[in-house]
Amino acid sequence: MIQIEAKPWQTMVLHAERLYPNECCGAMLGHTQGTDKLVTEAVPLENSFSGKQNDRYELKPEDLLAADKAARARGLDLIGIFHSHPDCDAYFSETDLKNSCPWYSFVVLSIQNGKFDHANSFLPDLDQTAAEPEEMKWPKS
Amino acid sequence: MAKILIPTALRQFTEQSDAVEVSGATVGEALAALTARYPEVKKNLFNDQGKLRSFVNVYVNDEDIRYMDKTDTKLEGHETLSIVPSIAGGSTAVEEQAPPLTNDEIARFSRHLILPEVGMQGQTKLKNAKVAMIGAGGLGAPLGLYLAAAGVGRIGLVDFDVVDVSNLQRQVIHGTSDIGRKKLDSAADRMKEINPNIRIDKFDTGLSSENAFDILRDYDIVVDGTDNFPTRYLVNDACVLLKKPNVYGSIFRFEGQATVFAYEDGPCYRCLYPEPPPPGLVPSCAEGGVLGILPGIIGVIQATEAVKLILGIGDTLKGRLLLYDALGMKFRELKLRRDKDCPVCGDHPTVTKLIDYQQFCGIKPMSNQPAPADSAVIDALELKQKIDRGDKFVLLDVREPHEYQIARIPGSILIPLGDLPKRLNELDKNADIVAQCKSGGRSQKAMDLLKQNGFQHVRNMTGGITAWSDKVDPSVPKY
Repeated sequence: MIQIEAKPWQTMVLHAERLYPNECCGAMLGHTQGTDKLVTEAVPLENSFSGKQNDRYELKPEDLLAADKAARARGLDLIGIFHSHPDCDAYFSETDLKNSCPWYSFVVLSIQNGKFDHANSFLPDLDQTAAEPEEMKWPKS
Repeated sequence: MAKILIPTALRQFTEQSDAVEVSGATVGEALAALTARYPEVKKNLFNDQGKLRSFVNVYVNDEDIRYMDKTDTKLEGHETLSIVPSIAGGSTAVEEQAPPLTNDEIARFSRHLILPEVGMQGQTKLKNAKVAMIGAGGLGAPLGLYLAAAGVGRIGLVDFDVVDVSNLQRQVIHGTSDIGRKKLDSAADRMKEINPNIRIDKFDTGLSSENAFDILRDYDIVVDGTDNFPTRYLVNDACVLLKKPNVYGSIFRFEGQATVFAYEDGPCYRCLYPEPPPPGLVPSCAEGGVLGILPGIIGVIQATEAVKLILGIGDTLKGRLLLYDALGMKFRELKLRRDKDCPVCGDHPTVTKLIDYQQFCGIKPMSNQPAPADSAVIDALELKQKIDRGDKFVLLDVREPHEYQIARIPGSILIPLGDLPKRLNELDKNADIVAQCKSGGRSQKAMDLLKQNGFQHVRNMTGGITAWSDKVDPSVPKY
């Protein structure tokens, strides 16, 4: 189960709405206990996909490295990655799956007409062949 | 000893250590030492062939080993190694990942769902379909409305125009309050109002040889709602080369045509019209006029064909050119065949990439046209001064009588361009003549004709009566 606190949740939604109609991306930091995760901080990162970004995103590994370092410096864990699907459901697409990694939770925010609509979290497998939905809690849900 | 920082998710395999000290002369040896100590880590970093998994990046201090010697990168023994995954993604739908219809969508499309030919499967196909619409004008209006209403999940709109009051007689996707807005925005708002679940990609540009592949590549079907020959040939060739069906429609005054080109073994536009007509021969809607309802009929036929192609049902118009005559209220059909000598879709194509379609259609780029000598043109303001000065001259309006009835510049005489050759004797060869039409095209031809026939002092009024209305007398209506 992944739980997102109000402040990081607001950061994620704002970032996703601000970048609409493009996809946004970022990192989620917090605490882990077994399979229970608590997100206490969200870090918007640059979508570095070269090309139209309305249905693609790419994270620079350097950015992820920096986010990981920042998390460690504050005693936090890098828990997951979030990105948005503009005018599209919050499902885990084939593109998402093929470029994912089994170590993190992947939160997808559906942004419809520029406004947050719904969100889901996924846990991809090691071989990037399937992702299982992860129970997710965010403020007002 | 080098220090390897362990990602959170892997700490369950390293007795919760967030950093592990290992020795090794290279990155590969250091990782081997790590996985020897914690075997569970191995399958997270390496695949069955013993290669680093595709998503795994290793950094030595802040350097990516891909840009050094990969796993052979040497270590001196005091470095920090970080394991960082590469992550990307995107919403691009993949066929087998069809998101199921939501309950809202089931309610919305119930009249489709109870048709056995459509059903849940067909509606899901529509939801996953990607259609590019070239043009959000006369044909684009009904197309956009009905494709959105039918639940086509992703629609690309290509248009660079803004809504003008004269569009509203036929472009029913736009309203009076949209005048001056980009057609893209106006059309997308209306389509979203009909069906908020669809995704609309806006391309605020004209389709060109440079951007056509990039724009059209992502779509399954292209619907051509263009109003000019260069773009029509461009859409055709791009569709043939990208192997995408081209749902074609065109309109002229009271008549329209529709068919499906470049689909399966069927013909393409060039099989029907290998050569474009000479420039100026076929007037555009702005020049020739069009019955406002006509694009409604033709656009709806195109929408029907697009939806049939997506669903894979019925008989498409492939190989059949449907002709519609609004005055006679008749439909006819011409059989079309693929031309094996067609330069683009034939057995031995000579057109294998996109060309310069302006040039192909005989339209010279603006910059190459020699600027007319100053003495040969007169603009609206100069004409006004000339009239106010009381100059003795002939203002020759070469438009059609029904246009003359709509609006005229005071003092003009009417000789339609088509009648001019046989009515030259009505004009004095030595008179000072200013030729004028709606926007300057026909009057240019009139001036050329007069000069060839020995008229000495002829000038063309640039911008025509439209410019007169804009710059001199707004009470003269624009049409």
